Amino acid sequence: MKLRTALTSVGVMIGTAAIVAMIALSLGLKDNAVKSLENFGNLTELPVEPMYWDEVENRPIPDDERKKLNMKAIQELKSVPGIAAVMPMKRLYEQAKLKVGRREGYIELIGVDVRESADYRKNDIEKGTYLSGSPQEIVVAYGVPRELRDMEREKREERRRNASGGRQSGGPDMWGPPPDMDNQPAFNIVDKAATLIVTREYRVDDEPKYEKKEVRVRVVGQLTQSEGNRYRDMRSVYAPFELIKELNDWVMRSRGDEGSVSPRSREQAKQQNELVFDEITVKVESREQVESVVKALKEKGYEVWSPARELESINNFFFVIQLVLGGIAAISLLVATIGIVNTMIMSILERTKEIGIMKVIGATVFNIRWLFLMESGFIGLIGGLAGLGIAWGAVELVNILGSSSDIMQNMRMGYGPSEENSRLAYIPSWLALFAIGFSFIIGLLAGIFPAIRASRLSALQAIRSE
Amino acid sequence: MIRLTVVNLFFNGFFVIYAKWGANKKMANATGELTVKDVNHSYGTGKIKVPVLFDINLHINQGEFVALCGSSGSGKSTLLNLLAGLTKPEQGKIFVSGEEISRFNENELCLFRRRSMGFIFQSYNLLPNLTALENVELPLIFSGVSTKKRRQKATEILNRVGLEGRLDHKPNELSGGQQQRVSIARALVNQPGIILADEPTGNLDSKTELEILALMREMNRENGTTFIIVTHEQEVAERSDRVIYMQDGRVVEKRTRPA
Repeated sequence: MKLRTALTSVGVMIGTAAIVAMIALSLGLKDNAVKSLENFGNLTELPVEPMYWDEVENRPIPDDERKKLNMKAIQELKSVPGIAAVMPMKRLYEQAKLKVGRREGYIELIGVDVRESADYRKNDIEKGTYLSGSPQEIVVAYGVPRELRDMEREKREERRRNASGGRQSGGPDMWGPPPDMDNQPAFNIVDKAATLIVTREYRVDDEPKYEKKEVRVRVVGQLTQSEGNRYRDMRSVYAPFELIKELNDWVMRSRGDEGSVSPRSREQAKQQNELVFDEITVKVESREQVESVVKALKEKGYEVWSPARELESINNFFFVIQLVLGGIAAISLLVATIGIVNTMIMSILERTKEIGIMKVIGATVFNIRWLFLMESGFIGLIGGLAGLGIAWGAVELVNILGSSSDIMQNMRMGYGPSEENSRLAYIPSWLALFAIGFSFIIGLLAGIFPAIRASRLSALQAIRSE
Repeated sequence: MIRLTVVNLFFNGFFVIYAKWGANKKMANATGELTVKDVNHSYGTGKIKVPVLFDINLHINQGEFVALCGSSGSGKSTLLNLLAGLTKPEQGKIFVSGEEISRFNENELCLFRRRSMGFIFQSYNLLPNLTALENVELPLIFSGVSTKKRRQKATEILNRVGLEGRLDHKPNELSGGQQQRVSIARALVNQPGIILADEPTGNLDSKTELEILALMREMNRENGTTFIIVTHEQEVAERSDRVIYMQDGRVVEKRTRPA
């Protein structure tokens, strides 16, 4: 290959490398931004609420116009494109106690639709399995086994401590760390029989009375820690809807049994029949679809409070960044393209005689054009491949430098786990393919004018030139 | 340089398709018969025109070995260009193998040249970056012949012109006579009906000149290819079937060699 051709390729190489590196960098930055957003919660799972404030007319939405989280809402949500699953939740209105062996503790009992949520919650299981659909199964959140206390033993230990503490005050037990739940090793709760204890309160002649109901269940699984990021979820216990409904009915009925049926409880009973959910979580098929789903939900009159709302502004911001960086880099590629045109025209001048000879011995206009197009295309292609290689090297270098310094940590503002594979920039395969294809096409485009010029040369004049 | 071999490696198939499409245009098989009718031609455009050819009428039979003689400026090279289809006559018609080539467009002319004509030049006009073999293969590449068949054909014809063992030499590694042999091989490789030669021995010493002439006559005899040779040399004229003399743009004498 001639030096001139090689230098032209170097021009394309620099242009391609600049574009690829710039886009890789902005993609990496965007990824990091999205990841740090993900630390606030799973972005593809959106909690849906009825909209309370009409942003267009700037007024609160009255009760009767407001959406209700009932079966109708579920059907409506399921029809939104991009939503993979609609997972309603219903809480137990009374506090419940979970007892496993000798340990017990207060938990929040949540009913879920097993069929809808199984596919997605399965991945969050740390130990055991997810609910299979049979009625007497429960799955506990990560924090639950740490919450349960062996009350008898603790009382015993306290008594002993008090007894000994009388003699040696200031002992290590007193000043040492209290038996905090974080330090307490979690016992294995999975695959154990457990008892759910629900207490209802009712009044007979203004005397509070308590009644207990016990349900025997089996703990089949435990969720991972990341799933229970939100504090209130730490003590959640998930069970099939049917169980919660049954328990709620029992709690309600007891209130109805008071004799004087208050309008409020009647309304509650009515709601009960309507099956209004406390919370509906929708699972979006992919992160790319989150924005459109959020938009569609808003149009239908639902409110979504999720970090996913920030995705849109992040995407917009990084789109502008990509445009600016890519645009600057594109200028260098444009210059390189002009370089290709220049080189090709030079080489036509140089090869006029060769072109003439080929025309005389039977090359058609098409043959000549094809040869020159391919040559300039290959200049572009070789430049593109080399540029991609350089960009890849630059990206690796940036990542090594980035991970050795604290840039990454600063960027994440201290949130989230410091993953070892977090990158400042990366080249996705589509970008690599795009770079190669683009440089080849740039070469072809640059070759069109010279190729036409070459094919227009008069064979007679060309062959006479020296 | 044009990476013919590389490009061809990738796109040979494409050329084959294209060449087949080109071949679909009905063209009679090259017979090597040639007729010139009332051709007038002048150079220059616009107002200033220099007339070069006046009322040329010629008929050359298949398999003839014709010398086209005349002093410089007599119009013999112009006539050759017209016959080759490199220029179009202002007036008159030219028939080659029964086809009126003066009516062809540029692409048809290219295809026609590829199929029916071979060219030999005074300065050989080989591509300097290609080997002897590749130079001979070139017309076959444009015709879309497959690599294997192409190589075989080119080797065969190079052996026939006496260049065994020189296939991989580049033009600057060959003597003038050898280069002209390569160029003859290139002209013959497509088995055209007519070969047009422009002073083929002009750059050669007299011994080589005779060898080249003998080679051309041999090819003429063996293949029945028509040769039309523009020349100054008396030796060439003497060895031709017929000599056409030109002067000031007119054919002044057509002398057939006594049999």
